[in-house]
Amino acid sequence: MSSRALRRNGWNVVGVGLFVLMVFPVFWMISTSFKPADEINSQTPTWFSGNPTLQHFRDAIHKPFFWDSVKNSVFIVLIAVAISMVLAFLAAVALAKYRFTGRKLFIVLMIGIQMLPGAGLIIPLYVVLARYHQVDTLTGVIVVYISAVLPFSVWTLRGFILGIPKELEEAAMVDGSTRLGAFARILLPLVAPGLVATSVFAFITSWNEYIFARILLNDQSKQTVTVWLSYFLGTSRNTDWGALMAASTLTAIPVVLFFLIVQRRIAFGLTAGAVKG
Amino acid sequence: MAIAAEAPRPRRRRLTRAIVARGTVPYLLILPVVAVLGALLAYPIYKLVVLSLQQYTLFELIQHKGKWIGLDNFKAIFRDQVFWHTLLRTVIFTVANVGLTIVGGMLIALLLVRVSGWVRILLTSGLVLVWAMPQVVAVQVWYWMTNYQNGVVNYILTQLHVGNYFQHDWYATTFSSLGLVTLLIVWGALPFVAITLYAALSQVPRELVEAAEIDGARAWNVFRDVTLPILMPILLILTSLSILWDFGVFTQAYLLINSSHIHPSNYLMSIYLFQEGFQKADYGKGSAISIVMLVIVALLSFFYVRKMVRVGEVE
Amino acid sequence: MRLRVFAVAAMAVLLGLVAATASASPQRAQANKLTVWLQVDAQSGWPDVVAAANQQFQKDHPGWTVDIQYQNWGDHLQKFDATLAGGNTADVIEMGNTEMVKYMAAGAFADLSSFKGSFANSGSWLKGLAASGTFGGRTYGVPYYAGSRVVTYRTDAWTKAKIKKPPNSLAQFTAYAKKLAAANSKTKGFSPVYIAGTDWYFAMSFVYDYGGSIARTSGGKWIGNLDSKQSIAGLTAFKNFFNAASKASKTSDENHPAPYDVYSQGGAASIIGPGWFSCCVGTKYKGVTQQFVMPSHTAGQAMPGFLGGSDLAVPAPSKNTALAADWIKDFTSTDAQRALQAKGNIPNATNLLGSSVNERAAARSWFVPAAKHWVDVENGNILRNMLAQILKGKLSVQQAAASASDNITSVLNGS
Repeated sequence: MSSRALRRNGWNVVGVGLFVLMVFPVFWMISTSFKPADEINSQTPTWFSGNPTLQHFRDAIHKPFFWDSVKNSVFIVLIAVAISMVLAFLAAVALAKYRFTGRKLFIVLMIGIQMLPGAGLIIPLYVVLARYHQVDTLTGVIVVYISAVLPFSVWTLRGFILGIPKELEEAAMVDGSTRLGAFARILLPLVAPGLVATSVFAFITSWNEYIFARILLNDQSKQTVTVWLSYFLGTSRNTDWGALMAASTLTAIPVVLFFLIVQRRIAFGLTAGAVKG
Repeated sequence: MAIAAEAPRPRRRRLTRAIVARGTVPYLLILPVVAVLGALLAYPIYKLVVLSLQQYTLFELIQHKGKWIGLDNFKAIFRDQVFWHTLLRTVIFTVANVGLTIVGGMLIALLLVRVSGWVRILLTSGLVLVWAMPQVVAVQVWYWMTNYQNGVVNYILTQLHVGNYFQHDWYATTFSSLGLVTLLIVWGALPFVAITLYAALSQVPRELVEAAEIDGARAWNVFRDVTLPILMPILLILTSLSILWDFGVFTQAYLLINSSHIHPSNYLMSIYLFQEGFQKADYGKGSAISIVMLVIVALLSFFYVRKMVRVGEVE
Repeated sequence: MRLRVFAVAAMAVLLGLVAATASASPQRAQANKLTVWLQVDAQSGWPDVVAAANQQFQKDHPGWTVDIQYQNWGDHLQKFDATLAGGNTADVIEMGNTEMVKYMAAGAFADLSSFKGSFANSGSWLKGLAASGTFGGRTYGVPYYAGSRVVTYRTDAWTKAKIKKPPNSLAQFTAYAKKLAAANSKTKGFSPVYIAGTDWYFAMSFVYDYGGSIARTSGGKWIGNLDSKQSIAGLTAFKNFFNAASKASKTSDENHPAPYDVYSQGGAASIIGPGWFSCCVGTKYKGVTQQFVMPSHTAGQAMPGFLGGSDLAVPAPSKNTALAADWIKDFTSTDAQRALQAKGNIPNATNLLGSSVNERAAARSWFVPAAKHWVDVENGNILRNMLAQILKGKLSVQQAAASASDNITSVLNGS
């Protein structure tokens, strides 16, 4: 008994040590945002600031278009995630439950699209969007993000649907309802955790995306948070490191919040589909 | 009754009998996805192939008209020594990254099973925090921590007497620069892999593990014979994805190494694409490089992807 | 049944979205809007100048608005290329003076020669800046402002080391550096003169000071010239000066870290950089900071300094060329130039030049080869790499220069 407890404590030490190592850069970012400028630049680093200041946060928030960019990012990401989940779910049902000609091709496309190097597509994508008058619009960015997360989402949701136990499906049949009716009423709630897990991935991918948002959006009032951040570094003059760290801390908050809200579902959701592939 | 007519066959099936192309339902279901992806990606992919066969520099871009040169772009790439060196470097880089990510993620997942509840919550929250950081932010923080003048990493290493790291230049050699990039990427990728594997581990039936342990099997054998086979499907998915992502990684590498340090001796494939295609405004060559990268990554992940597709298929 | 309905509904939503956006999106070439791309330096440095130009423009052209879209130096060219491909460029764009040739050669800009007379002080534009906006005898770029490099130093540290006044030759400066090092030997990693190892803008000044150059033309082709005797003498002089004066990293550039950050922490007694460095030296040393022009190896002369700067151009696809030229006229008026000058920039015409250290340094300057592939040399870090190899001792000056020279020859000739 006690040897087990000893081993557990040993693992706990390892766990805490790992935590410290992993989180250190995040800690450093947060700690730097509270330090006054000369502490940031000093030769000897300080762990916790001697005289912490909120000035950097004030500078960050007052930098032009902060709230606009937050608004834009939230709008773009929520819509992109919502639409992708709907579309991906439909396609995943088709892949998991039906046999039809062209199915293999569709699967190959879903995987193949993820192999395309994004950099090579930037200019042609821009030309396409320009043709549809979607340059410098939030909707243009939304469509790009939907396309970016769809293949992965379709593939993952397919796995979740495949993993649903046959018995539950058959139980639904007993009612005399049609197959598709059974899907909607019984299986949709079962796939919900899978949807949540996939949506987290879609959320993070879209929230953190930089290159396409940068190229597609010109109007500073339409920019996303990641583009707004890049303006801290784009000037050939003074880089305000403190403000950059404060701004970075602020932009990470929504993602963390979203994750905390859904995190309990994730473990369950990933499990449901994980083992069955 | 529907059930009587479709008595489940004595096979390990996960689907009830699949419907063979019944009407238009499956096509309707995939139509939205096909429409969106088609509308957005069909032309760019077509253009990618067309441009790779053309001379399309800034001059042609402004005229909106390219000059057909057949396979000259591809020939130029294959004749370029830099391409081959970069390819080799990127393959090694990918293997290192994927290996560290999957093995590291697996170890963390196993650790999560063995620690007390509060440590588990602490560690999971830490992982989530790391996962939530945007890439551009993470690069800036890592750069800041390792900078020559007053990087905190230099300070800590010197204080711990690992050596004299005062004003150590981490970006002086290719190995050091790419090593740092690897650390950064693996650090950012571990949370997703670890959390997913941890969730998968909880699917492994306790009874099987305990039975094996009672039989006197050592931990490694238990892992290899009981746990690993059950985790295989998810491991395949994660490995394929890691290969795709790590081979084509651009943002972290380009930003951390920094545009003023980028040089053929520390190119990765995506940086090579960016420098040759974009910086030199030679979009024809850039498109050709994209296609070459696509083919290579397809080859690299072929084995895993095929297994992955098979595992999910109906028997 | 439900699922089928669901699928059809999803399609309808999608179609609706597309339709809505197609009709709701603004017309691309909006009738009365002038789009201007300026770098963020204007947004943070002189927003009042921008506002004044906009006001003047709107007064002269009622019904028109000006949309200023600020860009970053890092990726503004990629964005420009994307707009060129899509046919929806801005009407005015700010370009770095080293970036101009490539785009002029590709036909990216509208010919502004007929408007030249209307631009303020166009008769006495700074030669270096004006040249960067000219191609084939036609004017495509209007000089916006320039910047040169000076030495910013701490009078207190210099006085403590018993140095009374700025050096008048390179040799004297080197001797001063040794004195400063001795006086500050207790401070770890202290640089008498903080110079980043791969600061090629500074290093090439030595090359030009000794009569060398980066590249020359011969028979219509470019030939790298760093392996000439004079260039090698210059590079050797740079290496010696660096070793005596700077403890900076041998491989990092002049932005990482910012020299004034090192200065403000007491890590350097002097720094080399643009004149506006004096803004950011920190509260501790603000009162004791002064500047002087970098001396040549020939006593009494100034070392030629790199003349950086920006031009304003009108992208060729723009449909509002005349109006764009008019906005540029408003933005580069004498008043606007005076305002920029007050903020520490060098104005674009010789008749406006004052006698600040910054402007005196611009009197003797050098510029990069006017080759359309020059940006490829910069982006390929050929010069930076050469300097790193020389300073690290990996290659001798001759070897590194010869290799870089060959590289430059092939890149500039477009291979």
